[in-house]
Amino acid sequence: MLYDVQIDRLPCFALFDLKGPATDLAAWADVLPAFAKPANTLTRQNGVDLCFTGPDRWILRADIAREDALIAALRPEKAPPEISITRVSDTLTFFRITGPDAAQVMSIGCPLDLHDSAFGPDAVSYSEFFGLKALVMRCEGGFDCAVEQSFGDMVADYLSRATA
Amino acid sequence: MMNIPCPFCGSRNEAEFAFGGPVKPDRPDPNTVSEGEWVAYLTQVPNPLGPVQERWWHVKGCGMWLTIWRDTRTHDIVEGPADAE
Ligand SMILES: [Zn+2]
Repeated sequence: MLYDVQIDRLPCFALFDLKGPATDLAAWADVLPAFAKPANTLTRQNGVDLCFTGPDRWILRADIAREDALIAALRPEKAPPEISITRVSDTLTFFRITGPDAAQVMSIGCPLDLHDSAFGPDAVSYSEFFGLKALVMRCEGGFDCAVEQSFGDMVADYLSRATA
Repeated sequence: MMNIPCPFCGSRNEAEFAFGGPVKPDRPDPNTVSEGEWVAYLTQVPNPLGPVQERWWHVKGCGMWLTIWRDTRTHDIVEGPADAE
């Protein structure tokens, strides 16, 4: 092993794509964590991550076991016209890269500055990973990185080659 | 590689962006301009030796479109989006 890392392909998360002004989204669904103010940061509450990934654009992430409860609470199909809530659980595959060399391995495929000073504990952003659009955030001891699920096997292969 | 200032994300690697082309002049009224001016509008793309105004899409980032002035001789971004960091 060139790198001291652990790479895990995570099971499916419950994911929701939220669009619209934070005030309208917060008024619609009281199960949501507080909306983060700084761009590209997330807030956590009761195991639910709310990621501020673009203007009026949010990704909600939770354990897959909570998907049904979240659908019931978010009522996507009844959302008012100023917001939109879409379940996207099966569209992303997450890789968890942890260990002393996690940032080194991330830097092979991702152009983001992932130093603590630039990418803090609550940082999250869409970026690039091995040329693919990817959602990147910190986790305990490393990084979570999600790509479109159809590229999952390919990225698993890239990562195993990069760290072999 | 250039770093491009995004109003939402701050300075980001060019790899995260898609090029949206130079900003073209406003469409003239074809009935009031000469044939030459109309053909020039249809066929000529701004391509100066120096600063050019360009559109970029942060497609692998936050999804915003932004406008910068880039110097074609140096790749220096001489003027970023008004509200970028
Ligand atoms: Zn951006």
